[in-house]
Amino acid sequence: MSTFRKNLKYVEKRRKWTTGQIVVALSLTMIALIIFFPFYNAVVISFETNRAYTLNPVSLYPTELSLANYEYLIENGNILSGYKNTIFITFIGTVLSMSASVMMAYAFSRKNYPGKKFLFLSVMFTMLFSGGMIPTYLQFKNLGLIDSRWSVILYVGISTYNIIILKSGFEQTPIELEEAAKIDGANDLIIFVRIELPLQSALLATFTLFTAVAYWNEWFWSMLLINSASKMTLQTALRAIVSEASAAADVSSGEAGFDVFTQGVKMAAVMMTMLPIMCFYPFLQKYFVKGVLVGSVKM
Amino acid sequence: MQIRTRRLFRDIWKARYVYMLLSFGLAYFIVFHYVPMSGIVLAFKKYNARLGIWGSDWTGLDHFRRIFITPGAVAAIKNTFEINLTRLLFQFPMPILLALLINEMRGTRIKRIYQTIFTFPHFLSWVVVSTILMNFLANSGMVNAVIVSIGGKKYNFLSDERLFRPLLYITQNWKEMGWSSIIYIAAISSIDLSLYEAATVDGAGRFKQALYVTLPGIKATIITLFILQVGRVMNSGFEQIFYMQNPAVKSVSDILDTYIYSITFDAVPNYGFSTAVGLFKSVINLVMLIGANAIIKKFNGSGMFN
Repeated sequence: MSTFRKNLKYVEKRRKWTTGQIVVALSLTMIALIIFFPFYNAVVISFETNRAYTLNPVSLYPTELSLANYEYLIENGNILSGYKNTIFITFIGTVLSMSASVMMAYAFSRKNYPGKKFLFLSVMFTMLFSGGMIPTYLQFKNLGLIDSRWSVILYVGISTYNIIILKSGFEQTPIELEEAAKIDGANDLIIFVRIELPLQSALLATFTLFTAVAYWNEWFWSMLLINSASKMTLQTALRAIVSEASAAADVSSGEAGFDVFTQGVKMAAVMMTMLPIMCFYPFLQKYFVKGVLVGSVKM
Repeated sequence: MQIRTRRLFRDIWKARYVYMLLSFGLAYFIVFHYVPMSGIVLAFKKYNARLGIWGSDWTGLDHFRRIFITPGAVAAIKNTFEINLTRLLFQFPMPILLALLINEMRGTRIKRIYQTIFTFPHFLSWVVVSTILMNFLANSGMVNAVIVSIGGKKYNFLSDERLFRPLLYITQNWKEMGWSSIIYIAAISSIDLSLYEAATVDGAGRFKQALYVTLPGIKATIITLFILQVGRVMNSGFEQIFYMQNPAVKSVSDILDTYIYSITFDAVPNYGFSTAVGLFKSVINLVMLIGANAIIKKFNGSGMFN
């Protein structure tokens, strides 16, 4: 097989590009540029000054390279405390959510025990039906979780989708391994910790990443549940900066002495929010792709 | 009878560690999913904050009757369906097309770089994506700057009623197209290579092969994902619309989710009515999803959960 592949590659290199292939390459390059360019433009604007941008908005590089937008952002926005809060929520949330999902998924992968089907369907039902925005909010209020960072951790919570996928992962463990362990006197807990978890470590890594991204990106409910500026998450802080900047731009357009470059500050905020994902993504991409493939097999 | 109960207890005792592992998660689902689910009784009540959910007075189906005579709610229902059905038309085929193109692309390394670019936006939140794209399209943004520099006039893309929905499809594809294409690419790679060889022998070029071998080869995946998408008709991309919406385009873009949000945080919120609109949405959603699952099960032999 591998020599066949090598030969194929060799043949491919020698072959000339056909018109069709050129069209394909050009269309893909176009799509890649359409996706890439707005990002690039945002990077450029975030390092630009107001004056330079007004004079020359169509620029492929910052004409007056400056860190003023980032300085303004760090001094005025809640970006830094947002980082702190989001890292806290993402870290604790991912650990708790993954532990609970893994335990549930393993339990649901065990063979018949009383109540298994009922419990599994009850958990799956939450995927299809929910109480909706107000009852959910009122429940958080009743529990006294409003304006607590724990509320976001609990809202994102356990993903039923993760449970389904991890469950089918656990179900693939060869039965002989478990039987051998049972003969050695291991109970379900020991099998779980010593056999199942190490066997599924690749799958666990992938879904840990997905969960972490979900926590990092959660915005809507963290906005509903957290009110005080000091507890704001990064996404909420970004959103606040964006709407404040737009409002400020409306009020002060044309006003003399106003030298904050709102567009630049917005883009700087965007850059800071996506920086960690941007740095890690290229290296972690293959794990993410693996995750979606595992999911599609199940589907 | 006694033997049966004894056996039940023995089975339960035997599975005690399994229940232990389940308990943590089950408690979570009860507290954060099932208790709020019981809160939907609010839809049949006149909510009074002092009396709480259970103490408030019953109003029967009044809130539900009100949905169909409230212009905002009716418009939101109409928009939800319209936007989603057009999404199926303009949004759904794009990842398939992209997968076909990527499949035809030569050069492994460049392919990998492109795929990294295509899939990256999936991992950003809509807050980030909408901020970047709206900045790009805004009056003071790059697109308008280019238009001006070639002698055109600035155009406000974001507050044009006719442009807003196409913009939704385009930006959704911009964010998700690459990621969604992965499933199709995987499906393509599992097509039997001998089919292509046979097609080549029959004189089919690459284009004909894509049309007559690749597409039929991933038909099952396409149909499954299509049915799933139809099942999600009530969830028309709340966050995307929420961030991109502005008053000028509200009439063509207000969907049930954004409508619920705006009436809930109104000057005079009516929690009972908001919950009723939410319940109306959830029930249709439930029926659609169960229907979709049943069809997929019939078609594939196994559904989403079993």
